[in-house]
Amino acid sequence: MLKLPLIKLEMNDRRRINGPPGGTRPAVFASHLESSSAADRARRERQPTELRKIFLKTGLIPSASGSSYLEFQPSASLAAARETPKSLIPPSSALKLACTVHGPKPLPRSAAFSPNLVLTTHVKYAPFAARKRKGHIRDASERDLGVHLETALRGAIIAERWPKSGIDLTITILEAEDDRWWADAPDSHDASWGMMNVLAGCITAASAAIADAHIDCLDLVAGGVAALVSDDSGDSSTTSPRLMLDTDPAEHRSIMSACVVAYMPARDEITELWLKGDSSKAALENGDARSAHEALIDGAVDAARGAYSVLGDALRESVLQTIQS
Amino acid sequence: MTTTLPPVAIPGQCLGSVAMYSAGPGTHIQQSNIYASIAGPVVADPAQPKTGTKSTLRVSRVVPATIRAASAANQKQRYNTLPAVDSIVLARVTRVQKRQATVSILVVLDDASQDPSQNASDNDNVASILTSAANPENHNSTDELRFQALIRKEDVRAVEKDRVVMEDMFRVGDIVRGSVISQGDQSFYYLTTARNDLGIVMARSDAGNMMFPVSWKEMRDPVTGAGEPRKVARPY
Amino acid sequence: MTAQRQASSAAQTPHLSAAELSYLYTSLSLPNNPIRPDGRSPTQFRPLAAECDILPGTNGSARIGFADGTQAIVGVKAEVEKTTLTADTLDARSLSLQSDLGPSGDGREGTEGSSAATGGHGSWVQMSIEIPGFRDDDALPVFLAEMMRESLVGSVGGKDGDGIERGMAGGLKGRLVINKRWHWRLYIDVLLLSQPLSYPLPLLSLTTHLALLSTKLPKLKSQGEEDPFFDDDWAVAEYLYPRASAGLKFNPSQQVRPPVTLLVISVGENVIFDPNREEIAVADAVLAISVTRDTESQGLKLLTIRTIDPPSRLTQPGVPNSENVNMLGATAPGESVAVLNPATGEEEIPGVWRPRRGGVKRSVIAGMVKTVLKKGGVGEEVLAGLEGVQVG
Repeated sequence: MLKLPLIKLEMNDRRRINGPPGGTRPAVFASHLESSSAADRARRERQPTELRKIFLKTGLIPSASGSSYLEFQPSASLAAARETPKSLIPPSSALKLACTVHGPKPLPRSAAFSPNLVLTTHVKYAPFAARKRKGHIRDASERDLGVHLETALRGAIIAERWPKSGIDLTITILEAEDDRWWADAPDSHDASWGMMNVLAGCITAASAAIADAHIDCLDLVAGGVAALVSDDSGDSSTTSPRLMLDTDPAEHRSIMSACVVAYMPARDEITELWLKGDSSKAALENGDARSAHEALIDGAVDAARGAYSVLGDALRESVLQTIQS
Repeated sequence: MTTTLPPVAIPGQCLGSVAMYSAGPGTHIQQSNIYASIAGPVVADPAQPKTGTKSTLRVSRVVPATIRAASAANQKQRYNTLPAVDSIVLARVTRVQKRQATVSILVVLDDASQDPSQNASDNDNVASILTSAANPENHNSTDELRFQALIRKEDVRAVEKDRVVMEDMFRVGDIVRGSVISQGDQSFYYLTTARNDLGIVMARSDAGNMMFPVSWKEMRDPVTGAGEPRKVARPY
Repeated sequence: MTAQRQASSAAQTPHLSAAELSYLYTSLSLPNNPIRPDGRSPTQFRPLAAECDILPGTNGSARIGFADGTQAIVGVKAEVEKTTLTADTLDARSLSLQSDLGPSGDGREGTEGSSAATGGHGSWVQMSIEIPGFRDDDALPVFLAEMMRESLVGSVGGKDGDGIERGMAGGLKGRLVINKRWHWRLYIDVLLLSQPLSYPLPLLSLTTHLALLSTKLPKLKSQGEEDPFFDDDWAVAEYLYPRASAGLKFNPSQQVRPPVTLLVISVGENVIFDPNREEIAVADAVLAISVTRDTESQGLKLLTIRTIDPPSRLTQPGVPNSENVNMLGATAPGESVAVLNPATGEEEIPGVWRPRRGGVKRSVIAGMVKTVLKKGGVGEEVLAGLEGVQVG
């Protein structure tokens, strides 16, 4: 009998050639960090209700039945840093993602009969998408995003028109949003805020790709994010957090709570809601009787309406293009 | 409610009220209004004067060149490109058993134009699909992506159903035109060929040559001259 | 594929016929007075049996069994781990603090000083859920674990503005900080002992809550920035979530408590808590709402809301008599007239089931959250009930 050497099996992908197991980050010296202090940090230059511009185009991948590509406008500080680079580290990042829809195609033989369309979603970060490298195997946060996205889309699809068939929706995130400014230590309100922006982008792009694949939908779904942020340095007791739409986490010192919705404007309905964080200390304008979480949801819906205008225009444009060609 | 229709619609766009139109493919009804459910050009099929029905609004899946041809048809409307009951499909035989033949559906033909060359659904290149599917080398490569269907022995022809011998009707690799009779179970649709215009449309002989039909139950090899039994579809 | 499909919507859809679904929906959506299959009131929970501290090998543990036979066990384990500061978690502020304080720095300052020190990291809490019949990387366990972890690490304790030492500044994350170089890592392992008969979220969340309430950490004997060492007397160990003691006058409503996640569904105009499998199958909307005690306002605080895909979207539609070939001629004209369902805006024929489609109106969500949060509402009732379970 052949004796095989004992190989320590690790939880990584054995079908690929992996990089070195340890971190290989260059050393960053304290003096350097001190120079890049508050002055260099990204600041929000938009109004609280002003959204970033979105680039969205459908039908870019010919082999898929539907596809779309979405990009957020880089923040002003990132654009400035690209013009005149002061540091190796970019101050913030901007979302870029590609979405493909394959199908409708028959369900696999093992699957049970379904009178409805079966939607499968995969969300994957490219290994280089975030500051920290992601592996090739989907991790918990990517699976979590996939479930959120599926909930958002399933409410919009008219599934009974496509019996016995399934579609696969795959999103590759090429550049993700940061959870906070890179040089900030995580504070007590820290959470994966960047993921919420990513989800909003995924929803908008996926809706465009599904419409591009001519799958029957009740309405387009657009994703939007709103957050309660406190930007003051030092103690946060002096001013209370304010509501902002389409927040870039790198531009704020602390995000108290955030909310992402998938919203269908024509029906005024929400198919997916994900709210987290402590919204109890928010200060709304006087006379605003809404509670903080309601204001957050309304804010996210407003942001989604903004994304919808881009989504609708992009789709109309692609329809007109196919008619004219 | 506006009476002018937008030239193109996107999902969720309100097209008109159910009082004025009836909803066709590519639309859905919500709160007594017709909304688009896919993106594409809006077409109002004029009402039929005899029946006095409302005109039908639909959003087309295809580009305008073929809209005219399609709207001329007053047949049953289809909502999507999947095989549905009564749709005519072209399929390739993948397995022949005593009681049934297994086929894999290549193309769902538009009801409007049953001539494959004019059919312009999402399978624009029907000709290329058929030739590549009739090629023995290309079998089993994309079967996973195609809908599977069964032709049961009793659905092969309308007469003498009990004398059907499946091996004399279909051979693996033949291209069949069939009509969907049922959505079937989890894995198979059910097809019938029990009509004159349904049956084998393309087949190769044992020698590997493309055959031509000589009768409703025989095809012949032009090179060797040998005949083979088949359930042949009436050629146009 | 099948596992994935089950996972994505709220647990497996029971095989109910369209007629059963329609019956359930109609009785659950009766205005103001829904009739539930098991006779509960809309806000009533299923009876359950709970116990704490059942596993001696853990820092805290709990078991809850529902009357239908589903049981869950949660074990909490804590390990000491060295805090690694990577370049992108460092900033100049924390660097200068570190050099200022030095070894003489008092341990207290670590928890009250800069936000960097109270911080703690969400990844220090690790949660894994095992459900029979699911792989651990299936969508359902991952989704549930993320949902519960997110509310755990997201709950931030009140500021110590009034000078009362509550020991929970910075919430659970802050509590895990030992000093600048060391922290606790918390492993929460959830075991569902039976096949999930209904969406297991309420069961798992309640069990986790109890296990965390009973979790104790050994008493720290070292001071400040020393390498930590602990008192080996288990009797003096401190609760992870500080409890009322004789010395300090605690108002029970002021204590920091682990969050609970409630499963709420809306059917028609009704809001129904702790739904069983049949009830979820006809829900218009399913929300998971996490709440905890607000230490400042003494009310309840909302931590997270997540929508869950209602399985009613995947059900098979019923066929109205007018379209049923077998009933041709047997139906009186006008018997099946579509009526507008005010809750969904869809036209439906009464008594004929149609799979739900579309989303939820904002007013419905607001109503669901309000029933959870309102004073004397379901959220407070649940937290009070869990408090009653004998701990320790």
